[in-house]
Amino acid sequence: MLALPLLLATKLVVWHAYTGGEEQALEQVVQTWNKAQRSASDDPTLVEAVSIPYGSMADKLQAAIPRGHGPDVFIFAHDLVGQWVAQGLLRKLDDLIRVPPTLAPLVPGSARPLTDGGALWGLPLSLKSLALFYRTDLVPEPPRTTEAIFALGARLRSEAPGQPRRYGLAYDAANFFCHAAWLHAFGGSIIPPGGELPRLHTPQQVAALEFVVGMQQRGDIPEEMTSVLVTQFFNQGRAAMVINGPWFIGEIERGVPYGVAPLPIVSATGRAAAPLTTIEAGYLSAYTRSPQKSAQFLSYLIGAEAALVRARVGRQSVTTLSVWQHADVQRDPVLRGFYGQLGDLVYSPTHPAMRSFWDPGEKALRQGLRGVAPDGALAAAQQQLDRYLRPPPATASEVPYLALLSALLLGGAAYAVVRGRRQRVLRAAWRNRDAYGYLAPAAVAMVVLTLLPMFVGAAMALFNYDSDGSWRFVGLANFTSILLCRDGGCLQPLSFYFTLVVTLLWTAANVVLHVLIGGGLALLLRDPLLKLRGVYRMLLIVPWAIPNYITALIWKGMFNRQFGAINILLQSLGLQPVSFFTSFATALSANIATNVWLGFPFMMVVALGNLAQVPVEIEEAARLDGATRWQALRKVVLPILWPSMLPSILLGAVWTFNMFNVVFLVSGGEPDGATDILVSQAYRWAFSRGHRYGYAAAYAVLIFLILVAQSAVMRRASDHDDQD
Amino acid sequence: MDKPAALGIGKGPALNRILGDICLEVSDGELLVLVGPSGCGKTTLLRCIAGLEEPSRGEIAIDGRSVVDVPPRDRDIAMVFQSYALYPHMTVFDNLAFGLRMRKTPAAEITRLVDEAAQMLEISHLIKRYPRELSGGQRQRVAMGRAVVRRPKVFLFDEPLSNLDAALRQQMRLELLRLHRRLSATMVYVTHDQVEAMTLADRIAVLKQGELVQVGPPAELYNQPCNTFVARFFGTPEMNLIPGAIEGGEFVASDGELKLRVPAVGYPAGPASLGIRAEDLALKSRAAAGLIAARVDVVEHLGSEDLIHLDLGATRLVVRCATAGAPTRASEVFLHVPASHCHFFARPPGVPDGARLKPPAPAAPLELVS
Repeated sequence: MLALPLLLATKLVVWHAYTGGEEQALEQVVQTWNKAQRSASDDPTLVEAVSIPYGSMADKLQAAIPRGHGPDVFIFAHDLVGQWVAQGLLRKLDDLIRVPPTLAPLVPGSARPLTDGGALWGLPLSLKSLALFYRTDLVPEPPRTTEAIFALGARLRSEAPGQPRRYGLAYDAANFFCHAAWLHAFGGSIIPPGGELPRLHTPQQVAALEFVVGMQQRGDIPEEMTSVLVTQFFNQGRAAMVINGPWFIGEIERGVPYGVAPLPIVSATGRAAAPLTTIEAGYLSAYTRSPQKSAQFLSYLIGAEAALVRARVGRQSVTTLSVWQHADVQRDPVLRGFYGQLGDLVYSPTHPAMRSFWDPGEKALRQGLRGVAPDGALAAAQQQLDRYLRPPPATASEVPYLALLSALLLGGAAYAVVRGRRQRVLRAAWRNRDAYGYLAPAAVAMVVLTLLPMFVGAAMALFNYDSDGSWRFVGLANFTSILLCRDGGCLQPLSFYFTLVVTLLWTAANVVLHVLIGGGLALLLRDPLLKLRGVYRMLLIVPWAIPNYITALIWKGMFNRQFGAINILLQSLGLQPVSFFTSFATALSANIATNVWLGFPFMMVVALGNLAQVPVEIEEAARLDGATRWQALRKVVLPILWPSMLPSILLGAVWTFNMFNVVFLVSGGEPDGATDILVSQAYRWAFSRGHRYGYAAAYAVLIFLILVAQSAVMRRASDHDDQD
Repeated sequence: MDKPAALGIGKGPALNRILGDICLEVSDGELLVLVGPSGCGKTTLLRCIAGLEEPSRGEIAIDGRSVVDVPPRDRDIAMVFQSYALYPHMTVFDNLAFGLRMRKTPAAEITRLVDEAAQMLEISHLIKRYPRELSGGQRQRVAMGRAVVRRPKVFLFDEPLSNLDAALRQQMRLELLRLHRRLSATMVYVTHDQVEAMTLADRIAVLKQGELVQVGPPAELYNQPCNTFVARFFGTPEMNLIPGAIEGGEFVASDGELKLRVPAVGYPAGPASLGIRAEDLALKSRAAAGLIAARVDVVEHLGSEDLIHLDLGATRLVVRCATAGAPTRASEVFLHVPASHCHFFARPPGVPDGARLKPPAPAAPLELVS
């Protein structure tokens, strides 16, 4: 009897990407709702909240909703609303919820970005914006203007002259999401009024960049900041204030007294810095079986009761205005700060072209901060943006491709049949059926995990991923565009050929150094009478044992212009600090140094193993024959060692050729994508230059072909050696 | 180069931690064999001569010139390794030519010397092959060729024949002897095989636990071993040793059942061992005065001769005798111990090897007493 109401219940599935306090708050809201439903109604609507990783939410929605496996309701940032509407993933809300009358008053304008084509597609639940975090021990009262911040910084510096330099303000100045706040204070916007597409080369953009460059030149903000360094500076008291979002709260160390205030007014213009703001909204899936009930739950989520829980437990900047009057919320210094920011914010543009915007935008920022004139930097970045926004390749006819494919398949099948019949393949297969049975699981796994993705990936290269999220057949257009440098000159850092040369240089330098250092150390460690040999060997393997992204981040830190260990060392020796990531040679060297550190232990271990196969007597015989130690090594030991090292060297070359982590994390392609290698370039085309998946897949196919060719050539060389 | 060199080794104590005091001289053109059980330090000594290992102190000189501080390549020494240590990535020709090339010999001269060496060792037809394409015996010849081609002052051999089968070993032994005669070079040859040592050596140096035990021509070591270790080491089967004591000019076996008395006039009294080689014992079929009755335990047939193992209570003796008329198993025989062939060794308690006891200066004619 007890189970009966549950059997009758309607179940709603809610997808969200919350973690920590926000997830807790949502769970609490859902529990309250379910409890009320069970007691109040014979036909309760029960809600189940499912947490989806933030990074995969968009893909999962796209895959699941059209197949009917998706949620009824989902909560996510508003950036992709336009695309979702175009893909038909969303259910219109207008006929289900009437916004002003049925809902509590919301933050003004917060529902507007969720409209498209005159219809409302989501309910704004909370806002995620940047604000000013300040250390209350250094800044009792947060300054309201940038001038006041700079004055505070100067005072902090004069107070503690001997210690490491302290700053009034620190933030990730090369991050355009942060930078946009200044742009808005200078009266600009990413998509200028009256326009469709984002623009970089505007007078306001130039003014905002000049302002930031000025801050850095005067030393008001530290150079080469990353989000990790910003956190460190704040926690150590080296920066009195930082610009950051609500996610920063979790990063502040226990015991650091802090408060949150709205971003300051830019003294030059008298206008407040207005951060880009993301709206977290609740949406209805177009395929929900109970739109009415889902809408009811959405209304509950945005209502005062649920919003208060979300504010208090989840510490969200909720859109429901009445909540802000609640005593608990008023008392919370963090929420109060973010509430202050609600007056000045700009909602992130949702145009699909925005996906191509950040990469050139941040390139302009980096160039400006590095000393390039802001106007020139922005003009160049605008050109790059225009290239990214170039219309996608035209649709091609599938017919010739399909014809070729079927001809190949038919030919292949005919060949297989003829060969098979001649060699009695079937009979042989039947005789060995047990063996095939044992092989089958592995073969199936190989096909599913390796071959299929490879073919799908290769097939993707023939398609274009359109802004509405659909795939369109374009034939070889991606390949011709890459190989004919349609996206700029062939000598430009972004061109395929430039990147290929850099990649080859990078691979050659790394492999040579790996072999030299690893082989040299192996020769040193070979002597069995060497004391503490085991200890040295273990210590030398350590770089290999540490996950390479951690090592890469450590090296990235060491190369920092102002705070890196290497520059501190140089300065203590009375030398000029080097700005590693502003010139091609030093940035590439930094990458190579990191990867050599990561890679030599492998070669050392391989060389040690192979050296064990070379009897000591042979070297002794050579020395008695009149060879010096060096000659014995060069003429006898190394030639014997070489053939057995070759496979490992080949493997090392392939790994280095595709060593994404180091390049991405250490130089990040700086300056201006010049140190990017083919894989990191492909990654950028896929994920930071407007989701050109097809184009990136074509890159991947080309990389694959190059590696196949390289392996074939090296295999040939080694076979040749063996025959000698 | 063509003149063979003298080699002097070791003065003063302890060459290194494996070797003790060693003082050894090898004269021009001599073939000295270093012999001893495994672990006795013979290879270490050889490597010290080559310069591959450094003596912690002492002196090694070639032609009177100290070479302790000279690197191996300047010592003008060639070494043949047990494992041959051929360069696997070079042809036979290049293996032979390597040392000459390192010494910047002109190309035409290299070809001539290599051809000559190859002919000498009968490997001319293998000159283009790689070591992996050769049999064990062929590799051995190449290794020797590599040493020969340079005409060094000193040749060192580190158990070069131990990886060959018995027949091949015998053949190579002969060739080595011919080679030595032909080159009349100074050679130091390490082996643990006493037959190899006996057949090859001009002189043999016996090493035991890093110490030099006895140095001398093979016949001297065989006939006048300086202690029981050397006595047992040379000769197959081992020399028979009978424990006993010398009292009043007579050796008396200590085994109560064995009624053996041998005159030992002039030897110091005290515990002693009597040593006698298998071939020096004689067996009679009939009892007579002075003969010792014994029972045949085992008969080993070697073809032309037999080894007769006798059971004499606690003592076991081996007698070598011609196959014709040899006793059969379990038959009773009568043993003759000729005093003139007896060796006497001291038998100090707790020491494994007793030193040879010196006979009285004028050797009195010995007579058998019963």
